[in-house]
Amino acid sequence: MSFDFLEVAIFAILTIAIIGAGAAVVLVNRITSAALFMAFTFLCMAGMFLLLGAETIAAFQVLIYVGAITVLILYGVMFTPQGPRDQGLFFQKQTPWAAVLVALIALPVVVLSFSFKDGRPLPRGGDLVPLATSLFGDFAFPFEVASVLLLAALVGAIVLVKRDDEETR
Amino acid sequence: MTPAVPLGAFIAVSAVLFFIGCAGVLTRRNAVVILMSVELMLNAANLALVAFSRRFGSTDERGSVFVVFVFVVAAAEVAVGLAIVLSAYRTRPVVNVDEAHAMRG
Repeated sequence: MSFDFLEVAIFAILTIAIIGAGAAVVLVNRITSAALFMAFTFLCMAGMFLLLGAETIAAFQVLIYVGAITVLILYGVMFTPQGPRDQGLFFQKQTPWAAVLVALIALPVVVLSFSFKDGRPLPRGGDLVPLATSLFGDFAFPFEVASVLLLAALVGAIVLVKRDDEETR
Repeated sequence: MTPAVPLGAFIAVSAVLFFIGCAGVLTRRNAVVILMSVELMLNAANLALVAFSRRFGSTDERGSVFVVFVFVVAAAEVAVGLAIVLSAYRTRPVVNVDEAHAMRG
């Protein structure tokens, strides 16, 4: 007896959840709801990575996206006042043109993306060891450059939000 | 043995999510929502990278290494992006991008 149908069913549920929550991020008016829908999208994407057999990437996804980036975005929502606005005001004026443009590009891309056929799949049994071998072997220099980028982003974010109102203190 | 879910289905989900994020960037007014849509697009690209890395006949996990770098760049981008939004809000109290058209400080 084969359990292949289970994989297909989980994939279908995750697909509906990802696309539905992703569309809700764009369409929902309340910013906090949009942020939580975004976190739900990221969580379902971690399930997608598990389905592909990339357990380490799924763990990183939960830690960085569902944890850190969602908290940062919620901070941004908290620090900028989000008053209630009427429905006509939360989209920009060029929305019809943008929607037509995106749909025109999206349709052929989505149709074409079904044409990719499976190659030889990687063996099961976790992706931690090959990932770490590549990351700390061939990609050791880009790894160090990434740490410099994170340091620069840290310093830049602090400098940008630093208050320079010495006279008011 | 062929996998139960073909590679093309994963790529199609990734493409749909990417274009949802693209539409969000092009149509929403709120700067924080635009940042969220950019994160959606980055995550869609991650799904395509992992799917190709696991299923397209590669010999190691090099595609997933790029996903790790995308994580790093996404974290840096959202931190600096929110800092820019907050400091722009402090200069002029608008958060909608079409009202913040004056770039001088």
